[in-house]
Amino acid sequence: MDARTIIQSLTGAFSEAISEAEVESPVRIRAYVDGSFAKEVCQYLKDSLQFDHLCSVCGVDYPKRNELEVVYHIASYDHPVVLTLKARLPRDSPEIESIVPVYWNANWYERETYELYGIMFKNHPNLKPLVLPEEMLGEWPLRKDYEGFPNRTARNLV
Amino acid sequence: MGEVKAKKTNESKANQEEEIPGVITTTTSAIHNFLKKTKAQDLINWGRKNSLWFMTQPMGCCGVEMIATGCAHYDTDRFGIIPRNSPRHADVMIISGYVTKKYLPALKRLWEQMPAPKWVICMGDCSISGGPFYESYSTVQNIDELFPIDVFIPGCPPRPEALIQGFVELQNKIIAKKDRGTEY
Amino acid sequence: MEEMLGSNEMIVHLGPQHPMQPGPFRLNLRLKGETVMDAEVELGFIHKGIEKILENKTYLQGITIVDRICYLVALTNEECFVGCVEKLAGIEVPERAQYIRVIVEELSRLQSHLLGMGEYGEFIGFVSMFMYTIKEREDILTLIDMVTGARVTHTFLKFGGVRDDLPEGFKEKALPVLNNLKRVIDDYEEMFNTDRIYRERAEGVGILTADVAKSLGVSGPALRATGVPFDIRKNEPYLVYKDLDFKVCTDTAGDCAARVRVRLNEMRESIYIIEQCLDRIPGGPIFPVNSPYGRRTPVMRVPAGEVFHRVEDPRGEMGMYMVSDGTDKPHRVKVRGPYFPTLQALPPLIKGTTVADVAAISGSMDGCTSEADR
Repeated sequence: MDARTIIQSLTGAFSEAISEAEVESPVRIRAYVDGSFAKEVCQYLKDSLQFDHLCSVCGVDYPKRNELEVVYHIASYDHPVVLTLKARLPRDSPEIESIVPVYWNANWYERETYELYGIMFKNHPNLKPLVLPEEMLGEWPLRKDYEGFPNRTARNLV
Repeated sequence: MGEVKAKKTNESKANQEEEIPGVITTTTSAIHNFLKKTKAQDLINWGRKNSLWFMTQPMGCCGVEMIATGCAHYDTDRFGIIPRNSPRHADVMIISGYVTKKYLPALKRLWEQMPAPKWVICMGDCSISGGPFYESYSTVQNIDELFPIDVFIPGCPPRPEALIQGFVELQNKIIAKKDRGTEY
Repeated sequence: MEEMLGSNEMIVHLGPQHPMQPGPFRLNLRLKGETVMDAEVELGFIHKGIEKILENKTYLQGITIVDRICYLVALTNEECFVGCVEKLAGIEVPERAQYIRVIVEELSRLQSHLLGMGEYGEFIGFVSMFMYTIKEREDILTLIDMVTGARVTHTFLKFGGVRDDLPEGFKEKALPVLNNLKRVIDDYEEMFNTDRIYRERAEGVGILTADVAKSLGVSGPALRATGVPFDIRKNEPYLVYKDLDFKVCTDTAGDCAARVRVRLNEMRESIYIIEQCLDRIPGGPIFPVNSPYGRRTPVMRVPAGEVFHRVEDPRGEMGMYMVSDGTDKPHRVKVRGPYFPTLQALPPLIKGTTVADVAAISGSMDGCTSEADR
């Protein structure tokens, strides 16, 4: 399966949900997805384009743009193309549909993203902290404005 | 010291009345205290120092080296240092890695489950000072305030030879009656 | 879990400290008699916040931290991190450095598989297996030690190359060790094939089928044991793997014994790869000439951008997603470890088995809790 045909198929099927789709290299594609369509797009990827392997789900904090991004890396067991699918969410109330019904192993990734970034995954079967102790819930330690990380070692060298 | 001992014996007398009738139990530490002053304690310590069984509890990078130390090549069995899986069999707890806020209660419980006399060895920079993770949001620093640590083995991770050296130092401390695990 | 406890049922916690475990995690089992009705994994006991620390370290400092993500395969973690930065900054690695990297990474795979197999032997009550494999592992570690100067955490790979060249006489020292290891692997295989007790504990236990394994997101030997030839070294070759001759080892049974067989065969392939590299390794620099990123530059700026780089870890697919904003520190590093999804697949796999098989199944996955927790 070729990267360009994947992009064409994806933008053809979801013309309003997919934006800024680009081919980075023959094995890497990047695209932004509208948060409310994430689950449908994933279902389409899995059913029609052989993207049957979810590599990871993670969050990225962009405080300057006042945005959080949820990043899905979706790959396949058959072809080497990896799709980086990103969804922009507002920083104050980040909410997105869970993709656990499509990819079973998204379960823990979403729990982890929830406890580290505070991104709510709607309709997740068991949204509770995974690696952090219960009392740290609500601190969202991986956000850039987290106070509990002193960062005294690395001075700003440049 | 004397006052504390007297207090202890008083308490034990009060407790004795609540014991089951017909069963004689002694809670006095008189024999123990007497032994400490004699040569017999040296003999006991000699025995203790030659059977330092440690608990295998790999918590981090040092855990791998700890396992390697207990196995075929380095073979600490020849010093009487044998890896045990259960805390109830063990004499030495090796804190072999980063102690997190979530793991600390479990670690304390493991320590309580070990029968006295017992010792702790801090293996690696993480358990001594936090190591590379000292600024992390989820690790606990200053483990030496929580456990009576006898030997610190620096390194990230220390080589098995260093761990054996640490055990030798602990043995020397036991012989010299200066270890913190037992109260003299 | 407690609420749905039926009659004749009890809850058993395995962990956080348990001989079955490669590191602390807790396995809560709901048992009815000997049968596991339900299972739940709790982890985070050694969560160190590596992703947050990496955001606050310069790129060069980051290499030491990624070493400690999974301490059994520190070199593969480094390869992943260094590969991300090389892709972002467009650094070309000289061929000699690539060969050295392949050699040390395959040696690291050998020692990881040896330890994993030994641990598995110990979990099913076959402790002498552990002693055998650790003995061979020490020889491999000595070889790695010769090159990198450390046994477990190396900080050996640098952006664009490696820290040191191979020592003199490395090939002469390595070949006897590898030849010995080949013989020993045959011994292990014979032992596994003929030992009746081992076979009864391993064959037909914890069967994964290819479809289930794919839907659970498993990768590495656990997936290849079901017959899916998924190996990043072949699917998406990095370094010089596309020039090297090796095959992806698969098996069809999908049970615990098949996973061990796949590991044994992979070790043979690794030895073959190392031998090829030792024969073919060209001369030349181990750092790119005329590169703006010097060998000992403490501070480097990486162009803004993002990259997702995958390598083949002994446990499966290891990936890192790095976002750079043009400063001397990464904006975000997401570590996609191979054991995280494998551990997640453990509860559905042990449902319906007996308690005695839990240790066998969990051990055959060859875990590394540190990397699942990060």
